[in-house]
Amino acid sequence: MKRGLPGTLVLVLSLAVLAALVLLPMWLVGSSSFKLPREIISRFPTFFPHSFTLQHYQKLLGTSAFPTYFVNSTLVAACSAFVTVVLATLAGYAFFRLEFRGRDFLYRLIMVAYAFPSIVILIPIYLMFAKVGLIDTDLALVVVNVTFALPFSIWMMRTFFASLPRELEEAAAIDGASRLATALYILVPLLRPGIAAIAIFAFVSSWTEYLFASVLIISDAKRTLPVGLSGIIGQYQIDWGLLLAGASLSILPVVIFFGFVGRWFVAGLTEGAVK
Amino acid sequence: MRFKGHALAGAMALTVFGALPALAVTEVKIWHMEQPPHRVQRVQELIDAFNAANPDIKVSQEPQSWGEVYAKVPASIAAGNQPDILFAIPDFTTVIRKVDKLESVADFVKELDAKHHFIPATVEPYSYDGGVWAVPLYNMSLNYWYHKKAFADAGIEAPKTWTEWKSAAEKLSKDGVFGVGLPANKQLYTDQTTYAVMVNNGASELFNADGTLRFDNPKTVESYAFYKDLYKYSSPDAANWTWGEAEACFASENCASILQFTVISTYDQQGGGDPSQLGIAAVPHADDQKDSATIAYSNAAIILAKDAAKRDAAKKFIAYLLEPETYGKFLTMEPGLFLPVTADGAKSASFWSDPLVVKYKPQVEQMIANSANGKLFGFTDGRVFPAIGPISAQNILAETLQKVVVNGEDPAAAVKAGQAAMEAATK
Repeated sequence: MKRGLPGTLVLVLSLAVLAALVLLPMWLVGSSSFKLPREIISRFPTFFPHSFTLQHYQKLLGTSAFPTYFVNSTLVAACSAFVTVVLATLAGYAFFRLEFRGRDFLYRLIMVAYAFPSIVILIPIYLMFAKVGLIDTDLALVVVNVTFALPFSIWMMRTFFASLPRELEEAAAIDGASRLATALYILVPLLRPGIAAIAIFAFVSSWTEYLFASVLIISDAKRTLPVGLSGIIGQYQIDWGLLLAGASLSILPVVIFFGFVGRWFVAGLTEGAVK
Repeated sequence: MRFKGHALAGAMALTVFGALPALAVTEVKIWHMEQPPHRVQRVQELIDAFNAANPDIKVSQEPQSWGEVYAKVPASIAAGNQPDILFAIPDFTTVIRKVDKLESVADFVKELDAKHHFIPATVEPYSYDGGVWAVPLYNMSLNYWYHKKAFADAGIEAPKTWTEWKSAAEKLSKDGVFGVGLPANKQLYTDQTTYAVMVNNGASELFNADGTLRFDNPKTVESYAFYKDLYKYSSPDAANWTWGEAEACFASENCASILQFTVISTYDQQGGGDPSQLGIAAVPHADDQKDSATIAYSNAAIILAKDAAKRDAAKKFIAYLLEPETYGKFLTMEPGLFLPVTADGAKSASFWSDPLVVKYKPQVEQMIANSANGKLFGFTDGRVFPAIGPISAQNILAETLQKVVVNGEDPAAAVKAGQAAMEAATK
C-alpha cells in the first residue's frame, strides 16, 4: 500500500513526537549531569550545556557507595532474571505440554500473586524472612523479585509454547530423543524470543524494585541502586548533580542488556500479541 | 591419664581465654536517617574515633531512609533484629513506644543535663507518661530565608507581620520571580510550613488539655486562609515540592524567599555563595501577635537495646557524641542544618570553627535565636499528645492545605474535614 504525502507527514510527525517524549527527558538528565551546579538549577534551563564538569561523576564514584549499589543491583537483577527464565520455561512446559489434573485451575491461580498490593504483604514477608534468616541478604531480594516476575512470565510463555507445533516433539521422540533432550535441543532454541522477553522483563523489574529492597535490606553494603540512590540524594537538601549523574549511570545496564537481547524481546512481544 | 588431664585443662584454658576477647566486645548497632554520603562519612569518623578509644565496644552504623523507617523499625522489632540505638523525632518516638516497651532514660538525660545543660524545649517532646524516652541530639527549626538584593531592589525590609509578608510577596513577584516559595504537597514539608504559619497566629495547639482535638477553630481557619493568599505568589509547581525543590528555587533566585530549615549548603555550593546577600529572619507572625514562633524538631536517640551491657555501651557512645569537642563535628555533618541542643554545645569550638559555619556565622546565630521559640505539633507547652503519631504519619495538616490551595475548598470546611480525618486517624 502506497502512502501519500499527508500520510507520510503524519507518520513522521508522530514518530518525532514519540521520540521527543522518550528521548528528551533522557537527554536532559544525561546532559545536565555534566553541567555545573549553578547551571543545573538555573532560572532559565539550558538545552545544551554551557558548562562542562565531571565533578558529579567524580563525587558519585569517589565518595559515595554508588559502585557497591551498582554491583549489588547487577547481581540481584541478573540472578532474578536467570531464575525467572529457568522456572518460567519449566513451568510453561508443564502447563502447556503436560496433562495433569487441575492444570487450568493452577494456571489461573498463579496470577493471584498480582491481586495483592505489595505494601500489604511487606511486613508479613519481613517477618517470614526474619524467621529463616533471609533479612539483609541478596537472596531475599531474588526470592521476592522472582515471585513477582514469575506469574506474568509463565503467562507470556503460554503464547510461545502455543506457537510450537507438537509434531516437532513427536518427531524428536521418534528419533529417540529423551524429553530433556527434546526440551534442550528443540524447544529452548525455538523459544529464544520468549526467553529474551522474560529475561528483560525480570531484569528490569528487579533493577527498579524499590519497596522490598528498602525494607528487607538493612546494611548499606547490601543496598541496591534505587534505595541507595534515594539515600545519596538527600532529604532536606538535594544534590541535583549527584542525582543526575546517578540516574544517568543507573540506566546503562538496562540499555546494554536491551541492546543485546532487545531484538528478541520485540519479536517476543509481537509474537505474544498475535497468537 | 596425667597427659589426658593436662590436655583437658589446656583445652579448657584455650576455650576460656580464646573466647574472652570475643565476649569482651559489646556491639552497638545504630540506625539513623542521615543518608547523604558526607553525613555517613562524618558519623563514621566519629564512630571510628570512639571505637579506637573504647576497644571493648564496637559501634556500627546502618543509615536508613525516613521514607521506610516507620514500617521497617516496627517490623524489625517484631522480628527481633532491631538496632540498639535509633535516631528519631518526637512523633516517631510515640510510634516506637506503641510497638516496643521502651525503658525510660530519665536518669541518663539528667546526668547529661548536669554536665551539658539541655535546652529544655528539646527534652520536653520526649518527656511524658512518667519517663524520658529519648536523648536529644540535635535541633532543627524552620526559618524565613530571603535574597537581600531582591528586597533592597524592591525597597522593602524583611517582613515581620503577615501584612508585610503578603505585601512583600506581591511586590517581589515580577519578571518571572516568585515572591515566596511555599509548598502544597501532601508531605512532611507542607506539614511543617503549614504549622509554621499556624503557630504565628496562636493556633499552635492541636489538642485541648484533655486530649480532645481542637484543630477546628477560627485561628486555624485564618491561618489556612492566609496561606492560600500567600500561595498565589508561589511557584506553580509548588504543589509537588519537597524541601529540595524549594531550595533549588531559592538558590536559583527564582524564589525571592522561602520557608526552610537551612539553605546554607545549597546556597553556598549551587547558588550565589555570597554570605552578605543571604538574609534570614523569623517566620512572620499575624498582625495581632507579639512575637514570631516557628516549628522546631528536636531529633533524639532512642535506646532500643535490652541487654544491660549494650545499653551501657549505647549510653557511653551517646555521651561521647554530646562532649563539646566531638559534638560540633557531629552537628556540622550538615553545617547549618543541625543546631545544638545543649548550652555547652552551642559554645563549642568544634561547632563554630567549621568553615561553613564561620562563613555564615550571622545566619547560624540567627537560626539558633529563631529556634528558641520553636514548637512542634502535638508537643506544645510541656504537654505531649501521643495521638499525634498517626496524624503526622498521614500528613493531615498538609492534606487539609491541599484541599484549600489546590482544590479551592473553603478553609473553614477543609479544616472541619481535617479535624474529622484526625479523629478517624487517632481512633
